[in-house]
Amino acid sequence: MSLYSYLLISIIIFTIGVYGIITQRSGIKILMCIELLLNSANLNLVAFSSYNGNATGQIFAIFSIAIAAAEAAIGFAILVALFRLRDTINLDNINILRW
Amino acid sequence: MFSDYAALIVLLPVIAFVFTLFLGKKLYSGGALLPIAAIAGSFIISLGIFLEIYPNGMVQQSLPWFAGMNLGILIDPLAVVMLMMVSFVSLLIHIYAVGYMAHDPARPRYFAETSLFTAAMLSVILSDNILQFFVSWELVGLCSFLLIGFWYHKPSAAAAAKKAFLVTRVGDVLFLAGIVLLYVNMKLLVDNGTLVVESQSFILQFKTMFEAIPLINGTQLTYIALLFFGGAVGKSGQFPLHGWLPDAMEGPTTVSALIHAATMVTAGVYLVARTFPMFVATPSTISAGVPDALLIVTYVGGFTAIFAATMGLVMNDIKRVLAYSTVSQLGYMMLALGTAGTVLGAKAVGISMFHLLSHAFFKALLFLCAGSVIHALGTNDIREMGGLFNKMKITGTTMLIAALALAGIGFPFASLGMPIMNIGTAGFFSKDAIIEGALEYGEVTHDMIPYGFAIIAALLTSIYIFRLWFMTFTGKPRSERHSHESPGVMTGPLMILAIFALLFGFSQIGFYGYLEKNFELMDVNIAVHEGEAFHPSAFLILLPVIVGVLGFLISYAIYNKRMIDMSKIVSSQNPLYKLLYNRYYEPKIGANLIGVKLTHDVVAQSGEFIDRKIIDWLIIDNIISNTLLKLGEIIRKLQTGVVQNYASITILGVALLLVLLKLKYGGT
Repeated sequence: MSLYSYLLISIIIFTIGVYGIITQRSGIKILMCIELLLNSANLNLVAFSSYNGNATGQIFAIFSIAIAAAEAAIGFAILVALFRLRDTINLDNINILRW
Repeated sequence: MFSDYAALIVLLPVIAFVFTLFLGKKLYSGGALLPIAAIAGSFIISLGIFLEIYPNGMVQQSLPWFAGMNLGILIDPLAVVMLMMVSFVSLLIHIYAVGYMAHDPARPRYFAETSLFTAAMLSVILSDNILQFFVSWELVGLCSFLLIGFWYHKPSAAAAAKKAFLVTRVGDVLFLAGIVLLYVNMKLLVDNGTLVVESQSFILQFKTMFEAIPLINGTQLTYIALLFFGGAVGKSGQFPLHGWLPDAMEGPTTVSALIHAATMVTAGVYLVARTFPMFVATPSTISAGVPDALLIVTYVGGFTAIFAATMGLVMNDIKRVLAYSTVSQLGYMMLALGTAGTVLGAKAVGISMFHLLSHAFFKALLFLCAGSVIHALGTNDIREMGGLFNKMKITGTTMLIAALALAGIGFPFASLGMPIMNIGTAGFFSKDAIIEGALEYGEVTHDMIPYGFAIIAALLTSIYIFRLWFMTFTGKPRSERHSHESPGVMTGPLMILAIFALLFGFSQIGFYGYLEKNFELMDVNIAVHEGEAFHPSAFLILLPVIVGVLGFLISYAIYNKRMIDMSKIVSSQNPLYKLLYNRYYEPKIGANLIGVKLTHDVVAQSGEFIDRKIIDWLIIDNIISNTLLKLGEIIRKLQTGVVQNYASITILGVALLLVLLKLKYGGT
């Protein structure tokens, strides 16, 4: 497979993620969509790394995955705490700082 | 050898100031010894320099300071006599203060401040440029403020200090404006090459200034001279800025003697004397043959002399009488500069400075005697004194000598053609010369008003000072207060000053000869209107003495023999007495008219109106603030707080950027 097809898949995943972030109201779904964006970027990194014959991109991808894991852990923890407090994770209802 | 250490004249008292201020409590006698030693050092160096440079030398030292200015020392005859007088009188008053302030817990502060004052005054005197002069001048003003308010817990003292500071500030602003105007003119001359100077940094030096005087436009020169004179009016308590000086008597008597009689207030006269070539060079537009600036100096001085003397007649506070006397005598010095400056040229500086010095001796003596009386009795009111002579012989005698000197008692043997020299007190020689100068001015310009001022003021002077002496020392005690002679540390300086008040006058001829050369040494030629030799009649020669004795006799008749019943005159029914006793309503005019009506009601109220009603109305109630508020109301709706909205807009923006990039660079 050529580089082009990897990038194409990456773009598709990215677009799905963006679409999800904009349209969804549930915190869990938005977090999952963010994970999709990160993974599309990781896919890009790995694809370019293999295309250039250079391992740097793959190392970056591993860092990125580690950070994504940490971010997901914190994000879900916040959502759990929020759910205990407000009985909802619908972001439209969490608006006390809005004008 | 001494001239190498000229800077120490100022630095020694400064060092004493620092040490006394911080360590005074731990030092002997409240730290009095250190300032006394320092000022004695200054006096010795001044004396040494005088002996070195007499009769034709000068000391000039200078170093760059900042941005086109320099710091320097200029000791010419004018400066050296002032240096000796200030350090000597200051030394005696410091010694006297050891006794006078013996019971005051704040002595370290007192001695530190008087020491700083002495340093500042000495620095005024030996400045070689006008800016340094001004800085020291301001420092002198600060010390005056601190010392008038020395007993700051007394509301009247705090108010007097404030008044002194604010009133002299009016003069200082004028002086500063004069310096700026002078600098602008000098800079212009230097820039277009008319005036050649060695270095730009010495542009404000007196020497350069005198060189530039013929080159400066006449009208500008008059403005500069008058602005300088405005500063002198403030500092020397001339009309209309005289009000602070009598109020300054709230400070300790030694401060009054040091600052408000002998030294600081003479700084204004010194300024005019120092920049005298400028005053002489101003064009004559008002009266033919009289430079405008000198004409104004004459009239302000002459009017002040008589105006202050009238108030001295009715004051009951012993120090206040002396304060008005000081204002009046400073008026004499100004009058001398104006009248004699017109007819005698550079000699006027000698005449004025001679009166300044003799006045410093006898006025310091008068104040110290008054201090001795106040110290003994605990009151300032001469109505509560009387009959003190038997108990305070030294104070009484020395004060009589000072009063004789102030009244100018003596006899002009030589002037009448007799084969003996003129004999008299210091004031006789110095005041006679001033009155004679005014007479000659009258002969030359046919304007006898200044002479009239001088003669009438001399009569009034004699009346009020002997009134003071008779009320204090003769008659029966008018109160039950206990009195005693002061200790030796106080009477010692009195006796030394009394010797000077008696004998200083005999140095007249040598003094004039020495100071006459002052401006020649600076390469300044002062044009003199040479008239035919002037020989007044015997009556005119004797007139100053006659009025002096007449004043003595009037006071003797009224206040010693009680030949005239004063109760009719001294009553609140008499409008003239009321006017004088209320000091021509000057404090009321100052406080109510200028302070309340003008400053508060007009300036502050209209300022408040503009601020509250116009600016606030514009900004808060209407245009600016409301517009901003409404705009904010609209714009804040954009911030929905919904993350998805932000994300959508971000993505839309990125997409737009990509499209634009594609359009610009093309390609696949």
